[in-house]
Amino acid sequence: MAVFRFIDQAIEKGAAALLVLAVALMLGLSVFAIVMRWFETSYHWLEPFVRHLVFLSTFLGGVIATGRGTHIAIDILHKKIEDTGPEWLKHLSFRTLNIASSLVLFWLVKASWDFTVIEFEYGREVFWGIHSGILVGIIPFGLSLIAYRFLYRFMHSFTKAAQV
Amino acid sequence: MSAIFAGIGIFVLAISGVPLFIIMALAALVAFSFTGVDLSAVAVEIYRISSAPTLLTIPLFTLAGYLMAESGSPKRLLRLADAALGWLPGGVAIVSLVICAFFTAFTGASGVTIIALGGLLFPILKNEGYSEDFSLGLITTSGSLGLLFAPSLPIILYGIVAKVDIDQLFLAGLVPGIFLIVVLSLWSIKNGTARTVTRKFDFKELVAALKGSFFEALLPIGVLTGIYGGYVTPTEASAMTAFYVLMIECFIYKDLHIIKDVPRVVLDSMSLVGGILLILCCALGLTNFMVDEEIPMQILDLMREYISNKWAFLFFLNIFLLIVGSMMDIFSAIIVVVPLITPIAAEFDVHPVHLAIIFLTNLEIGYITPPVGINLFISSFRFKKPVTELYRATFPYLILLVVALAVITYVPQLSLWLVER
Repeated sequence: MAVFRFIDQAIEKGAAALLVLAVALMLGLSVFAIVMRWFETSYHWLEPFVRHLVFLSTFLGGVIATGRGTHIAIDILHKKIEDTGPEWLKHLSFRTLNIASSLVLFWLVKASWDFTVIEFEYGREVFWGIHSGILVGIIPFGLSLIAYRFLYRFMHSFTKAAQV
Repeated sequence: MSAIFAGIGIFVLAISGVPLFIIMALAALVAFSFTGVDLSAVAVEIYRISSAPTLLTIPLFTLAGYLMAESGSPKRLLRLADAALGWLPGGVAIVSLVICAFFTAFTGASGVTIIALGGLLFPILKNEGYSEDFSLGLITTSGSLGLLFAPSLPIILYGIVAKVDIDQLFLAGLVPGIFLIVVLSLWSIKNGTARTVTRKFDFKELVAALKGSFFEALLPIGVLTGIYGGYVTPTEASAMTAFYVLMIECFIYKDLHIIKDVPRVVLDSMSLVGGILLILCCALGLTNFMVDEEIPMQILDLMREYISNKWAFLFFLNIFLLIVGSMMDIFSAIIVVVPLITPIAAEFDVHPVHLAIIFLTNLEIGYITPPVGINLFISSFRFKKPVTELYRATFPYLILLVVALAVITYVPQLSLWLVER
């Protein structure tokens, strides 16, 4: 279990660092683009690069939200169980929620990986010589991280620490 | 038969607390599986969001709002609003409404307003002699009051999903937004004159408060002038706003430390943004499937049997949206419901900008609509009061806002006046 925890914490720390860097870059580059416009200078790579930073940040933000358990959900039943249900039902509900989330995400990772493969075959260079397949690869990459975190939460719920 | 079982399974997972973006993805995967479409189409739809030109506005305006909420900005702006409006009968309550609207416009009604300002405003209102019910109701209601003002996140999201110009929506929300504040202010004045003592206007205090919060008070004026003066696009305005707020809070007011505080605020704001954008990404596949299957048109055909004109449609739309607003989070509601509603509304000749304002006003009210309006629970948590007490406290405000909603719905000029000028 220690290995799984280590991986989960590494994902959390890595995603947080990358997210702060991505936001700093998207902010800095956007302001830079405005300033350069005053001098009638523009860089064609800047706009798609910033948009893909936002795209990457979406998944990294999702990784952080998964760790904090703050994803938006219509959890009417889950809340009711959390408030009034017996202990065993709370555990069951928590585990079902996490394993179901993880399985659906792995299914989506497979679908997005297929798309990435197709994009590598038929795509083109977007900016800085970066192939569109790499940019599309953000989807399976980001979703895998989120899926792993849900899986870890599921596995962790069986440990003694979680039972307490 | 298997489609029905799949539908029931997805519904059960949804109410069991599985995150909404996963529910959306699952529904899209299942729907595409049943129709024999390659599942990579779901990922194609997810990737489509990366080409939205206004995408950048969402993280940057949200970051600006979070930075302000974490700094001393609420206190400074409260002092300014108090100096400007506190002398009126019901002045402190009006100050609360204005300041909450300002903050909600920047934080996107994500609950931050009640958390950041509630603790400041509640004792002030109580000290001024307002009852606990009045104060709780006012703060809970104000938590979503600025939704119609630029640059609120729900407006931007609505613009992206419904493909309506965001700058037109920013303009359209101005008059209805002010109208809602005026309605609640009149209610506060009624309570204020009956229960509290008014004080004199102090010009020196106003100047001092303005000096203290000058850079923050400039923000809404700067954003609106920048966009409507044609100097910047909404995307550029978001970058300038976030950069400006970062600079003033870190280097002028020095409330936030660039290394110790800013990364934490970035993570807080981006976990919200990530959650919202993931729903948007995953919902694109599902909504496109529904549009391909002509589901909105099927709903329209069904509605036509019972509803024959625009005004009756708007009446039922309001009832439907109030229920949606009280059951669903605003961001999910926009992403899920807007693609279904917009083609139907177009058939009934409802102006897309007017529809947006009706939609957002309904969801704003949904925040305080029992049994599950989210502001009720945030206030219950913040002030440690039972949620049933919040139901009672917000009830007069709910009635007032529903009346205001009727005016906004049946007087389209209120929303369209500035847009059509």
